[in-house]
Amino acid sequence: MAHPKLEVSWLRKSFPGLDVIGGISAAVQKGEFISIVGPSGCGKTTFLRIVAGLEQASGGEVRLDGRVVREPGADRGFVFQSDNLLPWRTIYDNARIGQEIAGRSGAAERQRTMDMLKLVGLEGFEHYYPRQLSGGMRQRVNLARALAVDPEVLLMDEPFSALDAQTREIMQTELLRIWERGRKTVLFVTHQIDEAVLLSDRVWVFARRPGRLQEVIDIPIPRPRDLSAKRTPDFVALVDRIWRLIEHDVRDSVLHENT
Amino acid sequence: MGGKSHAAGVIALISVVGGLLAWEAASRLLVSNKLFLAAPTQIVMAVIGLARSGALAHHAAVSAGEFAAGFAISTVIGIPLGLVMASSKTAKSALQPWVYGLYATPTVALAPLFILWLGIGIWSKVLVVLSLVVFPIALNTEAGLRTTSRELVETVRSFGASASQVFFKVSLPSAAPLIFTGLRLGIGRGLIGVVVAELFGARAGLGQLISESSETFNMPNLFAGVCLLALSGIALTVGFTSLERRLFPWREEQG
Ligand SMILES: Nc1ncnc2c1ncn2[C@@H]1O[C@H](COP(=O)(O)OP(=O)(O)OP(=O)(O)O)[C@@H](O)[C@H]1O
Ligand SMILES: [Mg+2]
Repeated sequence: MAHPKLEVSWLRKSFPGLDVIGGISAAVQKGEFISIVGPSGCGKTTFLRIVAGLEQASGGEVRLDGRVVREPGADRGFVFQSDNLLPWRTIYDNARIGQEIAGRSGAAERQRTMDMLKLVGLEGFEHYYPRQLSGGMRQRVNLARALAVDPEVLLMDEPFSALDAQTREIMQTELLRIWERGRKTVLFVTHQIDEAVLLSDRVWVFARRPGRLQEVIDIPIPRPRDLSAKRTPDFVALVDRIWRLIEHDVRDSVLHENT
Repeated sequence: MGGKSHAAGVIALISVVGGLLAWEAASRLLVSNKLFLAAPTQIVMAVIGLARSGALAHHAAVSAGEFAAGFAISTVIGIPLGLVMASSKTAKSALQPWVYGLYATPTVALAPLFILWLGIGIWSKVLVVLSLVVFPIALNTEAGLRTTSRELVETVRSFGASASQVFFKVSLPSAAPLIFTGLRLGIGRGLIGVVVAELFGARAGLGQLISESSETFNMPNLFAGVCLLALSGIALTVGFTSLERRLFPWREEQG
């Protein structure tokens, strides 16, 4: 088997008085689309932030192409839950900021930013300000911004959770289409199991207290996929299986939050 | 919307013209003693007279110079002061009581003291302006930097931004509107500082013109000075507001 693109070994994270991640080991192959699902508070965001270098692990390590990563860098692109666009920058300048930080400003880079905006369907909006765009459009800029640095790995933390149901489905198909074009390695956190199944090659099911990788589910649904895949019996069976894995934990976490 | 703002402009114009007419009538018909009030027409004549003699340009230039110097020094000190307060908890705890305290103090009352220290030349006025303007600038700079969104900082950090890139690409642009608000507040305070300090003692300046006119009971000249101050205050504030609009187009309200 080829060297994994991303390798996580014995990753642990505790905050004072709280073990959030209790030893996760996993590997992601180049071009794989991985979704992470699990009950609220099981450490999905924390896990992704450690991979991004925004948070330091308490133990274990993350390797990207064999190199240990501890700091953020342009080899990883993070798509945040809220779009986090800089309100004083135009759409184009927002999408370009990763390249700007990396000190890349050649014609090729500028062209790539334009291409990514076009890819997410925002051609013609380059000179708009974020406040002039809808939530769905801003989330596309968020994605284009991460893609513009041409990262080795794309880290996405519930990027569609703030969108309404229809926009969300459209964004799912858009993401499938965009991913088919580049086949980036993706770690995608979501609460929606059907979203995870639709998008992924494999789904990681996290359990809580402390957070750990409970099970890895292969998704053998043929690609290219579209929304109609959601109606196939295979799809429904997979969603059902994953739901049963986390059901107990989810109930537990909901009850916990209410007390 | 265009029609509404047009109507608002007409109302404002009627209000101003009506007020001036009432003023003119009152000073001609009601206040018989010329020592108490001057009519707008007399003020206009006084302005023309002062302009012809060159006195106006001289007084205005002195006051403008004092204001500009005080304002510039306030900016150069106030923004870094706000930066220091925003970047270190210790510095903030140490400086905050002073900055807040002095911001709330009408330091213009210290003008006689400053004149004692620095003489009746321009530097005592510059110091008064500085003492009034530097604190709102520092406080607004600090507030602007403090309220920088942590999510936006994280976002640029996720691309590997250095501390200075975070500062120049996120903190500073996000604080800029508030820093400008501090500068705009400084304009009004600075003008008051110049005039009041000149009233206490000066060789020239619009405040000096006003105090001299009042001593000689020259009401038209007194009002000429006041009106010029009012106009420059309005012009500076309007100019500044339009500058802000140009610099921060992304802040415009929607629609
Ligand atoms: N900086 C922090 N300091 C202390 N505790 C934290 C911090 N960040 C996260 N936690 C805690 O770690 C646990 C896991 O948080 P995390 O955000 O990773 O969960 P999650 O799986 O992403 O949850 P959700 O599905 O609700 O987004 C939570 O109990 C949270 O309160
Ligand atoms: Mg989360």
